[in-house]
Amino acid sequence: MSPLLMGLLGVMLVPLFLATWRSSLIGLSLQGFLIAWAAYRLDPNLRAVGSWLLLVDLVLVRGVGAPLLLYRILSARKRSARNDIIAPNLLSWTIAFGLVLAAFNLSAALVPTDGDQRAIISVASAGVLLAFLVLASQSTTFGQVIGVLRLENGIALFELGGEHRHHDGLVIQLGQVTIVAGTLGLYVWLLSSFSEASSPSAPSHDEPTL
Amino acid sequence: MSPLYFIALPGLMALALALGVGRGRATLLLVGTALATLLLALVEVLSVSQPAAALLGLVRVDATSRLFLAVVNPIFLGISTYIWHRVRTTPVLREGIQRTASLLLFFLASTNALLVANHLLALWVLLELTALAATPLIVRPRAEAARRAAFRYLLFSTVGLGLVALGFACLSRGMDAVGLQPTFIVEELRQLGPALVDSWTKLGLGLVLLGLGAKLGLAPMYSWLPETYDESPPAIAALLGAVQFNAALVVLFRVVQVYRVSNATLVADELLAMGLVSMVVSTVSIIATRNIKRLIAYASINHAGVIAIGLGVGGAATYGLLLYVVSNAFIKAILFLTAGKIMAHYKTNDTRVISGLIKELPYSGVFLMVGTIALLGFPPFGSFLGELLILSALVGSGRMLTFAAFCTLITMTFVATGRTVFPMIWGPSKEKHEFSRQTLPAALPKLTFLIALVVLGIYIPPAFNALLLQVATSLEGP
Repeated sequence: MSPLLMGLLGVMLVPLFLATWRSSLIGLSLQGFLIAWAAYRLDPNLRAVGSWLLLVDLVLVRGVGAPLLLYRILSARKRSARNDIIAPNLLSWTIAFGLVLAAFNLSAALVPTDGDQRAIISVASAGVLLAFLVLASQSTTFGQVIGVLRLENGIALFELGGEHRHHDGLVIQLGQVTIVAGTLGLYVWLLSSFSEASSPSAPSHDEPTL
Repeated sequence: MSPLYFIALPGLMALALALGVGRGRATLLLVGTALATLLLALVEVLSVSQPAAALLGLVRVDATSRLFLAVVNPIFLGISTYIWHRVRTTPVLREGIQRTASLLLFFLASTNALLVANHLLALWVLLELTALAATPLIVRPRAEAARRAAFRYLLFSTVGLGLVALGFACLSRGMDAVGLQPTFIVEELRQLGPALVDSWTKLGLGLVLLGLGAKLGLAPMYSWLPETYDESPPAIAALLGAVQFNAALVVLFRVVQVYRVSNATLVADELLAMGLVSMVVSTVSIIATRNIKRLIAYASINHAGVIAIGLGVGGAATYGLLLYVVSNAFIKAILFLTAGKIMAHYKTNDTRVISGLIKELPYSGVFLMVGTIALLGFPPFGSFLGELLILSALVGSGRMLTFAAFCTLITMTFVATGRTVFPMIWGPSKEKHEFSRQTLPAALPKLTFLIALVVLGIYIPPAFNALLLQVATSLEGP
């Protein structure tokens, strides 16, 4: 496996154990940049507009936009540094490593020949499975958003090198980037509008509604 | 006629409203645009007999598109009329209505584009766009619980559609693995159908079905649905239940149309499992709930389960399934809009407090009664014939255990729903309420849906029947 993909696996794993929200955001940002680097290595000529669009998505939206917007919300609320995105115990850590192992076994079954493609599938599958671990462990809105963004990054890596990327057409790719940016925008809007109270207020049906 | 008209019209009007055009007349513009879009869609539905392709094959109007254009657009117009009436009679609702109308029309444009899209990734993008448009609509001013429901809706939508995207990536690698040129154009995929049988395709198909199951409210990822439908304004709940549900279903239909021929067992097993588990969890929840909107939400999960089972069985069930789908779109629209009216007057959603509807709100009482009877699958409604055909196909395919479980769960749902709803309609009034007179504009959308529902049950027009048969045939594969 290349140092790039090993680094990517590292930034997927390390924030799970550091347990601060800043490390989670730095991890997300690095994931965006490293996936962009992997995309560039697969298509270094950047002749197609679609290749540029992919880099814009990975670098500007996932690498810079998402972590920065979330950072602004959390720092404005003066959240304490500690933030466990998986339970801080031996069982969770074992499950995390088990999922990485399972991802590598899955990719070995799906891609018979050893090489770049198998390595990408291994790391992408690990990213997706770890994202589901985060989503399953989290009840806080911030942690769930981190889980979703990890999932999106895992999927982006999974799609790298897939033949369909070259045949999708610009409109579809533009649509995909718009979806990622729009989803991120909605998450930020919702997160910033939640009250600080940890439990939601009782639903009210007294006020008129559509 | 180009299908772009009924996509571009609501899209452009959404943009105009977002830019502040027509301030003060947003609901009128909403109804006018919905009506014009419906007419354009109907022209397309009635004028095209052979599939017509446009935009480099990305758009294709076939029988599935025409069937759902004919169902979704009238329901959207009904919901728009309901909103127009609510805003006209309740001035406080004018706050933010410009933005609401704009989002609704954007939702309609995305839905219509989805119905005619001929590319799996385009379908995915458009389904995501409907979710992005719907999320702010769920939020009610000053209601934290509604914001959390919107967040939960978006979260499940992102995860579900993330699984779909992952599945599509696997399907693409599957084509590559067997030496085929990867494509997502539905018509090209239908030609490749029998060749798509490798491990990547099976993994991808499994993920796509699971992800779309989440959008339809099927188990295991159904928990967003009751909370979202309960917290949304009733008009938006109707939009999600009757319009977006069918949009997600069309995406599922496209996938089944391509992959059933090569992966029949996987499709059948996964859909049957998700359908049966959904029916179990929804039945238990229907028995336990005392909240009218949650009751309808759980019934929606139950219906999604029935639809998944019908689609899984295939064959003779497919025609019944389509009849069931169309009927249910109207039933959900009627029930959510009626629940909105009831809650607006009683200021509660507790089914134990609401009583004597037939005397106090006669229109709403009748709508709730007929809607519930149709919901429970009584004759003469289309849902009755639909369920009967699905049951018959279960017996015909030798799935006797599934048949027994289906019958037991349907009976339990029937008793639990009747026990909760009928006292609300026929029970004695518990408190003295002052009600304003119900006007025709308020009842008109529901009345129209009711007529459509009854017509579908007793007489299916030949042209519509032919459309149902064409879609049923297409679901069996190329």
